[in-house]
Amino acid sequence: MDYLITVGILGGINIIAAMGLAILTGYTGLFSLGHAAFMAVGGYSSALLFMKLNVPFILAVILGGFIAGIVSLFIGIPTFRSQLTGDYFAIATYGFAEAIRLILNKWAYVGGAEGMPGIPKLSNVWVVLGFTVVLAYLANNFTHSQHGRNCVSIKQDEVAAQMMGVNVFKTKLMSLFISAVYCGIAGGLMGFYFSYLIPALFGSGRSSDMLASIVFGGMESLIGPIITSFLLFAIPQLLYVLDKYRLIVYGLLFVVMMIFRPQGLLGYRQMSVEDFKRTISSFKNRFKKQGSAADKGEQ
Amino acid sequence: MTLFLQQLVSGISIGSVYALLAVGYALVYSVFSFTNWAFDAFMVVGAFGAFYAITDFKLPIPLALLFAILFTMLVSVFVERMAYRPLRIREAPRLFMMISAMGANMSIINIINLQFGGHFRNFPQITGETLSVGGIKIGMMDVFAAVFSFITLILLWIFLYRTKMGLGIRASALDLLTSGIMGINNDMVAIIIFGISGILSGVAGVFYGIKYAVFPYLGLVTIKAMIASIIGGLGSLPGAVVGSLLLGILETLVSGYISSEWRDLFTFSLLIIVLLFMPNGLFGKSTKEKL
Repeated sequence: MDYLITVGILGGINIIAAMGLAILTGYTGLFSLGHAAFMAVGGYSSALLFMKLNVPFILAVILGGFIAGIVSLFIGIPTFRSQLTGDYFAIATYGFAEAIRLILNKWAYVGGAEGMPGIPKLSNVWVVLGFTVVLAYLANNFTHSQHGRNCVSIKQDEVAAQMMGVNVFKTKLMSLFISAVYCGIAGGLMGFYFSYLIPALFGSGRSSDMLASIVFGGMESLIGPIITSFLLFAIPQLLYVLDKYRLIVYGLLFVVMMIFRPQGLLGYRQMSVEDFKRTISSFKNRFKKQGSAADKGEQ
Repeated sequence: MTLFLQQLVSGISIGSVYALLAVGYALVYSVFSFTNWAFDAFMVVGAFGAFYAITDFKLPIPLALLFAILFTMLVSVFVERMAYRPLRIREAPRLFMMISAMGANMSIINIINLQFGGHFRNFPQITGETLSVGGIKIGMMDVFAAVFSFITLILLWIFLYRTKMGLGIRASALDLLTSGIMGINNDMVAIIIFGISGILSGVAGVFYGIKYAVFPYLGLVTIKAMIASIIGGLGSLPGAVVGSLLLGILETLVSGYISSEWRDLFTFSLLIIVLLFMPNGLFGKSTKEKL
């Protein structure tokens, strides 16, 4: 049971972070290699708020998320103003993330490379579940709002979107801010679960794990990354013998997915109750057709 | 003054390794307009190839280097064939190319890690001699690496600017579609480009392995070369060389005069400053999309 709770908590944290990245990479088409840094900022700042300023736990986590969002503006405003896209933006976020990690490594006040111990263990499964559900609801609303549609239009064609009157700079910045807030909250919950924080937790490995869940789950989908981020976390936990092959398989799957199914496992679909009904009825129809075809064949 | 000159020399030595890698990035970028994110793995393949050719197969050193370089070239062409070409032909978005390349990179490095283990290996000592010029000590190996790197780059320059095939590649760099219509085989260009960049990364991997150690994550240094090629301007070959030497020298000066701990932070801050104030680098073309 303890084991299941652990999987539930860490799975929930991964889902929150993946939803954040889904908004930036999946919807807006900006490829970030440094979102682990926003988790680090959220984690460290919420722990400091709680321990040094006695801010209540839930509020500290939320504020930590917003601090991560504000930090994201430091990289967002300059890069979006000089219209960096694609590879340039990816490298800039990578550099930014490494810089943050190096600063945390050197900063004695937060423990340097040895990390910050003694954070009370307050993240239980209900808190994480509550955060996950609320944030999923908000993310879903965002992606269906006008702002979410603006994001998709930028991803599909930036120039065309601009000509249709979308404020590209503002929309990109909003998308980055929201995704950083999500990652910050995930980092905060993680700190209060592990009861310590070290900069090594937020290396480029975590960024590529997050990326994997977006790639496998599908661009322009929330439910896809939610499912895959949970599976990608839970499956290696259950089959830990195979853990050493994990990254090799991820890598090969990246290539195979991009060649054969770049829209991700679930594609551009959102999951809803009607969707289930439609899937079931389409299956039924297929069986009926096959049945009737077989009948004709016999005749 | 001696310290400064000493730093300058080691800066040029590390800068020449960056230059090989940065030129590899620039070459691919100039023709196909995407960054080859699998470069890191090619470098590791080169270093491991040379290491095991010397220790396990007992090949003499020049042969081992040749073996490593050719092997890296094959891996590079293979990755192009498997991970890039299907996407390139379909004209997939650059995001997909990036993900595919990172996937190839991740797999190759982790296969090497699993197969050979993640420990550090010391490259067999080739020569430990040092030259002493006016109080400055220069390792013979550093000199050899720098000279060999520059010879490689000069050969590449001759190939690109003095042969017919090079003319074809430059035409493709100008406009891939038009050159394709004019009868240049773009798939062949891709094979040649990736072959050359494989050779460059193989050489760089061998020298980096000799200078430091051979381990599966040594390829992380390619991020420095990527930064150098951005400083020089993505897609510009002279820019890549100048940017690399500049970055190598600045890095060693920072670690010599301030602290080696702040070296990486300095490099990443430099990247962000360059991207802010001159996103096209020193010699690059404009990156803005044109209608």
